[in-house]
Amino acid sequence: MCGGIINRFFTVMISSRSRGDSENSELKVTVKETRITVYMYSRQVIQRSFKMAAPIRKSVELFYDVVSPYSWLAFEVMCRYQQKWNIDLKLRPFFLSGIMQGVGFNQPGPSKASYMGKDLKRQTDMYKVPFKMPSNPAEVILIKGSLNAGRFLTAVDMNCDQYLEELTRQLFLRVYYRDEDITEPASLMSAAAKAGIPEDMAKQLLSTIKDQAVKDRLRETTQAALDHGAFGSPTIVAHVDGKPQMFFGSDRMELMAHMLGEKWYGPLPELAKAKM
Amino acid sequence: MAAPTRKSVEFFYDVLSPYTWLAFEVMCRYQQKWNIDLKLRPFFLSGIMQGADNRPPGMVPAKATYMGKDLKRLTDMYQVPFKLPSNPAEVMFIKGSINAGRFLTAVDMNCDQYLEELTRQLFLRIYYRDEDITEPASLMSAAAKAGIPEDLAKQLLSTIKDQAVKDRLRQNTQAALDHGAFGSPTIVAHVDGKPQMFFGSDRMELMAHMLGEKWYGPLPELAKAKM
Repeated sequence: MCGGIINRFFTVMISSRSRGDSENSELKVTVKETRITVYMYSRQVIQRSFKMAAPIRKSVELFYDVVSPYSWLAFEVMCRYQQKWNIDLKLRPFFLSGIMQGVGFNQPGPSKASYMGKDLKRQTDMYKVPFKMPSNPAEVILIKGSLNAGRFLTAVDMNCDQYLEELTRQLFLRVYYRDEDITEPASLMSAAAKAGIPEDMAKQLLSTIKDQAVKDRLRETTQAALDHGAFGSPTIVAHVDGKPQMFFGSDRMELMAHMLGEKWYGPLPELAKAKM
Repeated sequence: MAAPTRKSVEFFYDVLSPYTWLAFEVMCRYQQKWNIDLKLRPFFLSGIMQGADNRPPGMVPAKATYMGKDLKRLTDMYQVPFKLPSNPAEVMFIKGSINAGRFLTAVDMNCDQYLEELTRQLFLRIYYRDEDITEPASLMSAAAKAGIPEDLAKQLLSTIKDQAVKDRLRQNTQAALDHGAFGSPTIVAHVDGKPQMFFGSDRMELMAHMLGEKWYGPLPELAKAKM
């Protein structure tokens, strides 16, 4: 030790949640009288502050109804990217029928309807989503509908949201892979079982789907989407710089990535060669 | 050793449609990068809407509001200098594009080397400078900016009510309808002898996949990947 100079070395281990990994960054802080020198060994960008916060995840809300085929595409892509992007994905089951009533609807003409069938096949092939058009899409979408399914998803969201993603997937698989019902209690119980929800819990949640609290919550979620300007499903709201950016459909991912300051690696990011 | 056969990609369009401008610029950027033969096919959107029993999307108010924002964000990202006209409904539904469509058709029939730039100049008039595209003077102005010699432009303009020109525009429109078109742009990529129709400006990545090409985003010249 020389004279009155005191050197102190602090090593601070910081664990970062950025990009889903837990890479540790090491900071060596040397305190020399009134001068503080910070050496950073990490390749990550760290805010110049002694309060070493992880970069704030941007909130992205996915409003969806399982009766909408393009919503399945958007859902799978968002699930794939929720670990790759610095986002906090919030699934928000809503009621598409309520959206359509709220804003009006142009029924697609025969050419457009025919195109959509082909478009869905080509896109789901490329996106590796096992989509098959049901034998009677009009009955599935317009007649049988999704009210019970929407309320069941809502009940799960309110009580055990760790199952929400997989239950959503199982409902999509029922309606848009196996052409199975999603309106009956037995159908919802079956999807719940495949989603890993314990039977007792599934039964209990199913018994609540006509409760006012559940109905209200589904209505509120639908209204929230309408307030963001929604006119269909999926409606994605990304919160960027404190401002909500609404995107409709499954074909605005590259634009959304751009606005989130993230990179788009296509619909199968796990196959992308670029370093993440 | 023959060069690999270029795949034919037909681009059916009407300059009245804003999303079409996006698709047009992207296709122009990719025509050198991909092994394709881009064929611009001006058609008549009004004829498509009638033929396919479709309605313009702006009829649903929430959708119209969204489209305004969507176009701004997309054109910013795509670096296309788009500005919504002061009266879009008048531009699209009242003034229309029959003369512009016929003029583009006349150019396509006689001197198609100017077709790309004339198309661009018409888009710039309507969707950058909020200018007319229906009057002869407007079309002459666009032609001049496209590099078409004045005499040639005058001569082509004089033919736009000729039966041959009307028929050709109608044929292009019908060809698109036969491919299942219901709007603009309608892109038909010929893959393995089979036509694949794509609607809109947001199927480029899928089309690239089906063409066996790579999508580098809307600004491929900035992509770091080797071409």
